[in-house]
Amino acid sequence: MILHSIKWRLQAWHGFLLVCLVSGLMTGFYMFERREKLQAIDAELAEVMTPLLPRYAPPNSNGPGARGPGNRGPQRPPLREGDFPGPDDGPPLRDDPPAGLSEQRPPGAQPMGNRERSLAAISSGRFYFIAWAEGGERMAAATNAPANLNPPKQAQPNQGRILRTQGENRELIQFVPSGRIVLVGTSLTQTLAQLHKLALALVLIGSGIVIVGFAVGWWLASRALRPIAEISQTASEIAAGDLSRRINASETESELGQLAAVLNDTFERLQATFEQQRQFTSDAAHELRTPVSVILTQVQSTLNKERSGVEYRETLEACQRAAMRMKKLVEALLELARLDAGQTAGKREPMDLSQCVAECVALVRPLAEERKMQLQSDLSAAPCVGDADQFTLVITNLLTNAVHYNRDGGEVRISTRAEEGSAVVTVSDNGPGIAAEHLPRIFDRFYRADAARTSSQGRSGLGLAITKSIVESHGGTIEVTSEVGKGSCFKVCLPAA
Amino acid sequence: MRILIVEDEADLRSALARALRDEGYAVDAADNGEDGLFNAESTDYDAIVLDVMMPRLDGWEVLKRLRKSKKTPVLMLTARDQSRDRVKGLDTGADDYVVKPFDLPELLARLRALIRRSAGKTTNVIEIGDVAVDTAARVISLKGKPQELTAREYQLVEFMALHRGEVVTRTQLYEHLFDENDSSLSNLLDVHVSNVRKKLGAEFITTRRGHGYCIE
Repeated sequence: MILHSIKWRLQAWHGFLLVCLVSGLMTGFYMFERREKLQAIDAELAEVMTPLLPRYAPPNSNGPGARGPGNRGPQRPPLREGDFPGPDDGPPLRDDPPAGLSEQRPPGAQPMGNRERSLAAISSGRFYFIAWAEGGERMAAATNAPANLNPPKQAQPNQGRILRTQGENRELIQFVPSGRIVLVGTSLTQTLAQLHKLALALVLIGSGIVIVGFAVGWWLASRALRPIAEISQTASEIAAGDLSRRINASETESELGQLAAVLNDTFERLQATFEQQRQFTSDAAHELRTPVSVILTQVQSTLNKERSGVEYRETLEACQRAAMRMKKLVEALLELARLDAGQTAGKREPMDLSQCVAECVALVRPLAEERKMQLQSDLSAAPCVGDADQFTLVITNLLTNAVHYNRDGGEVRISTRAEEGSAVVTVSDNGPGIAAEHLPRIFDRFYRADAARTSSQGRSGLGLAITKSIVESHGGTIEVTSEVGKGSCFKVCLPAA
Repeated sequence: MRILIVEDEADLRSALARALRDEGYAVDAADNGEDGLFNAESTDYDAIVLDVMMPRLDGWEVLKRLRKSKKTPVLMLTARDQSRDRVKGLDTGADDYVVKPFDLPELLARLRALIRRSAGKTTNVIEIGDVAVDTAARVISLKGKPQELTAREYQLVEFMALHRGEVVTRTQLYEHLFDENDSSLSNLLDVHVSNVRKKLGAEFITTRRGHGYCIE
């Protein structure tokens, strides 16, 4: 499980790449170093070879197997022992051969420039040489030369020099056209040991780099992922119920800061929704408390002792009123629940809003007349699509509100008309109006402009919330304008048919 | 004992008033905060039942303004069952707190306790010589025998017992025993006093001419 974590996967990739890179670099370095060393040795071999050639295999040698004169190299006059081309060439080669050099000097072989260095190299024992005569017998050899080395074969007729690695020895072989062969060699043991040491050192350094890199990578990954761990820790605490907590999004510049901000935003909205839900439930319970306490108190006080028939009747009537109120509230709550669930979105029929309004006006008129109010309607055709029953509910709600909150003898106007693309209903009154601070909230559930209940008149406080829900479920809008002392005006716009 | 009910819900108000009257209390009622505050400030009630959510002036405001002038015990009645509301109520100066929907017997018991506490009594039973007044059971006994008293007579004895040693004026008695709906026939009080004397002994209540009555 833990191996699937981002940290581990990051670490695995990081480690893999680090190992590849370091081993590649180290191998490259080792190979380079090895080639350099071999090249240096090869150069030295060539250098050592140079003075030996004229001595043991002069190009104009007339021995058997010689291919003839002038086929290779410049013609040089043979030098006698003791003759040296210049002062730079150092002291003359002594007659007694240097240590390790068993002199089997053939006649005519001449020493050359750099001879001293070359001979010093041979006498130091680092290099050895073997010279074979035309017949394959040894003409001369350094004392440290391998004794059982046979004259090498020329792979191709024109091959002059070949380099080879024989066991732990590096050898440069010169075939001279006359048939003589000169071989200069050196032991690679020391070089190989050096290279081994280098390899070991490189492996150690490489491992060190990988370990340090891995550790640094681990630290970086932990550091980079720590905010994620913090975010998930806080988020799980929030999920556990503490919705008021927020993720620390101080580094808003970084990607994680943005993530935290987005999460915080989500939590904010969730909390608001939960708070709204909690408030709604609490409000609903609160609305039910009053009628329940009416019933309970009425019944308990009545049952306290024997009562007259009139008193029993009064009690029952009070209970009935309370029960009716609860019924209205429950119906409103169910209506809202249905609207919230979007179950009523099904019924959509073309209809004329003005007909619907005319029916509602007829329904509310007795209520208005009871309070000596003028109910004036100005209806022109307003075709739209929707659920006629729900529109009736909307218009009845608005009309009864207008009547209810108006003063006795006031005026309520309702009009319908078709505007471009929508059917519009306006309901206005000349009542006391709604104060500006209440306007934004009057569509909230259970919100009442006067803090107290006017619920004794059977108003649930859900009417406008339901109205708004219905209008919005039809894709319409509802807005209100109001002026204290002058009256209010509700305007509903529904999409035209 | 005279109690004021301030509650905007008519059916609840009438039921409460009836229940309290059955207990022998004199009951006044107001259906909004303003009227309630006016009543509470102008009359010495023994307790006030105050609803929180009311038109015009809510319960908190009534309580706050009332506390500037009077210490009348107040029982808050509210539909909000949240501890911060209780704390607010008690901090504002409410003496007790009942959440709707309430149990009527509990409300009555809390009212009795409220009135008893405000009179400085911690037990239910007040003993005056041979007479014991049990304010919880609402029973008055003479030499251990329970006596039959009407609710009004009981209220008279209880009120005077709670103010034992003080001279209680006729005006005070009228204020605490009768509400706005009772006909204020002055001799009605004398009838109750005379009935109590018949039941508990002539010496139980003494008359101070020109001042009022007293239980020694």
